[in-house]
Amino acid sequence: MIATRHGLLLIAPLALVLTGFFLVPVLMLLPTSFGETVPGAGLAPGVWTLENYALIITDDYYREVIWRTLGLGFFVTVACLLLGYPLAYLIARGPERWRVPLILLVIFPMMLNLVVRSFGWIALLANRGLVNNLLIELGLIATPLKLMFNLTGLMIGLTHIYLPFMVLMLVAAIRNVPRDVEAAAATLGSSRAHVFAAVTLPLSAPGILAGSILVFVLTISALVTPRMLGGPTYKVMATLIYDEYMQLLDWPRGSALSFALTLMAVGIIWLSSRLTRRWAGMA
Amino acid sequence: MSALSFERLGKSYGDADVVRDISLTIGEGEFVSLLGPSGCGKTTILRMVAGLVEPSRGRILIGADDVTRLPPNKRGLGLVFQSYALFPHLTVYENVAFGLRRRKVSGAELDTRVKEALAMVRLATFGERYPRQLSGGQQQRVAIARALAPHPRVLLFDEPLSNLDAQLRDEMQIELKRLQRGLGVTTLFVTHDQGEALSLSDRVGVMAKGVMQQFATPEEIYHRPATGFVASFIGKPNRLQGTVADRSGGGGSVSLGGGVSLAAASLDQPQGARVNVVIRQEAIRLHRGGADPGALPGTIALRSFSGARVQYVVRLAEGVELVAETSSHGPDAALAVGTPVSLAIDAEAVFAMPADGAGQ
Repeated sequence: MIATRHGLLLIAPLALVLTGFFLVPVLMLLPTSFGETVPGAGLAPGVWTLENYALIITDDYYREVIWRTLGLGFFVTVACLLLGYPLAYLIARGPERWRVPLILLVIFPMMLNLVVRSFGWIALLANRGLVNNLLIELGLIATPLKLMFNLTGLMIGLTHIYLPFMVLMLVAAIRNVPRDVEAAAATLGSSRAHVFAAVTLPLSAPGILAGSILVFVLTISALVTPRMLGGPTYKVMATLIYDEYMQLLDWPRGSALSFALTLMAVGIIWLSSRLTRRWAGMA
Repeated sequence: MSALSFERLGKSYGDADVVRDISLTIGEGEFVSLLGPSGCGKTTILRMVAGLVEPSRGRILIGADDVTRLPPNKRGLGLVFQSYALFPHLTVYENVAFGLRRRKVSGAELDTRVKEALAMVRLATFGERYPRQLSGGQQQRVAIARALAPHPRVLLFDEPLSNLDAQLRDEMQIELKRLQRGLGVTTLFVTHDQGEALSLSDRVGVMAKGVMQQFATPEEIYHRPATGFVASFIGKPNRLQGTVADRSGGGGSVSLGGGVSLAAASLDQPQGARVNVVIRQEAIRLHRGGADPGALPGTIALRSFSGARVQYVVRLAEGVELVAETSSHGPDAALAVGTPVSLAIDAEAVFAMPADGAGQ
């Protein structure tokens, strides 16, 4: 065991960097989020208002973007989980010689630049893109499906981009499930399906939780892919915040939106951790 | 009526034979141990019985049913693992209830049987705890209760006591034996610990390199080992090099060099053959002073005290040393190095086997 004092020493360098270059700047934004912008002049001095936050809650447009962002985060997480678990299970439990090639295959997309990958999806999903052309050629549809500038497009793109994170987390968790415990369930009368549902799945809960939190947080804060696949009009929180800062130069509203997003993320992570712990008996 | 039997059961991985065509029959309520060094195939047999490893050859029968191809959940066995393998996400109560729920036991009967099983292992008040809140010995008892609760046709143990410390192991041995006798459940117990195997079992199967060396009662295994391997594996053997000096009838004598020779009650090697000689430490009687008639003279070279027993290394001649032991409460418990002693060795306790085939 590492003594507390040594533990503190070990995390000290990172803690200092994070405090100086992350925590302090973020906290400095907090007063800004209660300020007011004077067009053409920047921050109005001495103003202290809750209006930015009130607007986020009352304004229909902001509310829609918030729900869209959370929904996107939820659906991408669920899609990554459903697509990732079988693959992770195969990597963790399949033949030894498949393991490295499969993991390389999972990681491989991450070696391509994010912009390139997003352009790839544009080429595939656009109205005259590969997918629509193919479906029209085959006579399955008459007019192009709308696969971009909407939730579908963002979901497809983001699921693809964040799937590796989920799979890697799940592989580690599934490999940690003791085979003896599964064998014990089998000898006590569990079918293969029941062993999976009653033992493997709950015991891999730490990985499910870690992977889900990671994918959820990455999704709701993603900027490049939503900008490219969502276009200028279909916005999520990250693109909205970017525009408030860079296009409208409205720093107070951008800051308020940032804090609102962070608070929601923390709240959802806390809730899902509690639920998972209860389900998997870790509490 | 046989409860569990194997017919020419075998397992190979590629070219490697892990278990070679083993046939044996275990009677109803019998406690049978498979004993051998690691890698001898005993655990593979257990896992084949449980359905966790598929046999390459042969059949497994539980009662009159051929279960060779059945999946583990259809066999109705209880298995206790060395690692305990409790469900960490379930309470002790739910761990024990797991097998019962799978057999559609519910309501009041479920509750009764879980509590009964927990009471049997003296953990009646621990139902609400999680496995991680228990000590190793308690976890092992939960594992036993979990295996017993569904009333299995055969109970299997895979080195269940190996992870416990020495004192707890002795307690659990006695507890296990009492439980098994009380319930009369047919038991197959795998271990590398001869003390465990001999004290718990009705019959012991000693295995080496996938081959059953001997399958007999503990007394027979100990006193009449069938092969050189069994002789050198059981007890605390002295292993020496020698040659067959003389043959008469079924026995004869072996020469250990340095003018020392020993009578052996049974010898199946020709005169002059090089042999490995195995003599149990505990079969040697050590007395202080000059040689009694028929005993071997020697001097103490080293003394080692281990609680109840004292071990002496006795030099019989240049290059010929034997380890002998005596009670630490006896008159010869504190002999100094250099003390002359005599060793009386029963001819029945001297085993000789061909020099190359003595080990495994």
